[in-house]
Amino acid sequence: MTSPSKKSQRLRSRLRLIDVFRQALLGLTSRKLRTALTALGISIGIASLISIQGITEANQADARAEIDALGSDFLFITPGTGVTEDAELLPYAPAMLDTHLPALEYVAAIYPVDARARRNSLIPEVQTGGVTVSALTAADLDLLEPVNGSVAFGRFHDTTSVEIPSVVLGSLAAERLGIRHLIGHPTINISGNNFAVIGVLNEFEILNTDLNRTVLVGLNVATELFDTPDTPGAIYAQVPPEQLDEARDLIPAQANPAAPGQVAVSRPTEALEIREVIDETFARILQALALIVLAVGGIGIANIMVISVIERRGEIGLRRSLGATRRHIASQFIIESTMLSMLGGLLGVALGVAIVVGYATYKDFEAIIPWFWLSVGVGAAFVLGALAGLYPAWRASRLDPAEAVRPAA
Amino acid sequence: MTVTTSAPAVLELRSVGKSYEASPPIEVLKNIDLTIREGELVAIVGPSGSGKSTLLNMMGALDRPTSGEVLIDGTVVNTLRDPSLSGVRGRRLGFVFQQFHLLPGLSATENVATGLLYHGTSGRDRKKQARQALERVGLGHRLNQKPGKLSGGERQRVAIARALLGDPAIVLADEPTGNLDSQTTEEIVELFLELHAQGSTIVMITHDKELAQSMPRVVEILDGQIVRREAVVS
Repeated sequence: MTSPSKKSQRLRSRLRLIDVFRQALLGLTSRKLRTALTALGISIGIASLISIQGITEANQADARAEIDALGSDFLFITPGTGVTEDAELLPYAPAMLDTHLPALEYVAAIYPVDARARRNSLIPEVQTGGVTVSALTAADLDLLEPVNGSVAFGRFHDTTSVEIPSVVLGSLAAERLGIRHLIGHPTINISGNNFAVIGVLNEFEILNTDLNRTVLVGLNVATELFDTPDTPGAIYAQVPPEQLDEARDLIPAQANPAAPGQVAVSRPTEALEIREVIDETFARILQALALIVLAVGGIGIANIMVISVIERRGEIGLRRSLGATRRHIASQFIIESTMLSMLGGLLGVALGVAIVVGYATYKDFEAIIPWFWLSVGVGAAFVLGALAGLYPAWRASRLDPAEAVRPAA
Repeated sequence: MTVTTSAPAVLELRSVGKSYEASPPIEVLKNIDLTIREGELVAIVGPSGSGKSTLLNMMGALDRPTSGEVLIDGTVVNTLRDPSLSGVRGRRLGFVFQQFHLLPGLSATENVATGLLYHGTSGRDRKKQARQALERVGLGHRLNQKPGKLSGGERQRVAIARALLGDPAIVLADEPTGNLDSQTTEEIVELFLELHAQGSTIVMITHDKELAQSMPRVVEILDGQIVRREAVVS
């Protein structure tokens, strides 16, 4: 005769691990539309989490590359906002800065010219198309160095060309003036005088975009033709990074000894760095929202699971009659809820990665998959699903089998 | 098959009482003594509210009595904790319900196979046995149909096949024909008689006195008490 303990051992209910998952999957596949809609909340949350981070990182990487390309050691000096004559920068300030601040690697100024550039004299002078005229001297031929500019075609000014009526055009100015090549030696008309076009610059994409719309002429020519004063409108300087602070302190007195306080010295890449910080903050705010969406998705799952337990009373009763223990019932619902959430999570990951890759492709950036936030999302989906299943599972396991097998009274 | 009093008892109720908390307490079952022996086919008949469903709950270990003892296979089950109690239900008892309780997403074979789900049997073995059980109830040609495509009688046959799986000591049927028309009811009763002839122990609860009369043994219950025990010797 079998001993009682052996007998109860033989009578123990057993559910294979694979069947635990099969039963949970069955619950999900039997209600496909509901499963899909419920998982959607989690999908959207996780896709947002990943794509926000991915897009932000791609933008930041691009901005950082841009900053690196521009050089963080570039200073932009302007007369300042003063309206008095005090605010004018010294004539030929670059030359003086150069002498007194040997640390400056490159320095160049441009001088605003009060003249209108046109394709030819037949075009009314008022139609400038936003094109401005600036001048430079033989001392300013290093202009392209601090601003990281380059010539698209033709050449930049040299010591000869700044003394004769010739121009170098910014990319937008060239476009507005209809200069696409130098074949046939094109000329433009500046306030009634013809200038030979000798070169066109590449577009400045982030900083110094003002130079895109500028026509650069020689200062002596400008002074002769348009009475242009020899006070710089802006000075561009490149300083070794370790001497930036010192240079910032010393430059104002050099550029305008009469009123150093008026001189504005800025580091334009700072703006990019600040933008990066703002982007970062903004991404965090959006991600907090995405986390809220995720939490709401989790609540949605809990909600559906509670309804499911009520609807599936009969099924629960049946399973209890087939030998399911309370624990079996509870595990079925917890795993079902977790699988539902993970399904949403995986869809969200796929969607999020697709958005990140799509954006990178569109913007021609390198796609950066935010692995950290990807795992945060998947982990959150797992935890949310399990948590969302706890209460419904508890309720399901507490159902009285005798009542569950009969229709609700 | 002739049931003699010497056949071993598979299910015994000893002075079983059940009352529900209320003021005054509602006494649904009063001091019930009932023994079901191996191979018996018993109809438990009574009007609604007579306590026959509660009696089935006691016999099926779906609920615990307030007083008395329930023995299945000679083991007192009413004091067992949930895991062991569930084990007894799963391995020693088979249930047939009025509403069939088939899972809509599963085929007939898969539904029957759930009868062994909580036995830890492998999926392949479950399906193999399920197909055999379906053949036994005359549904060998409907193996892959989902419940939605089956008639009421066919659904109940699937449920009976499921109850037979795992060779339970006793099959408990709770108003199995309650949702069926008279023709189908007859077929299901016929099936029970056939299974009985093959040696299965079956208890069927019904409110239909006429139907009960076609069973070898009838136990009539009224107001929570057994008012008639009748053993028909064939």
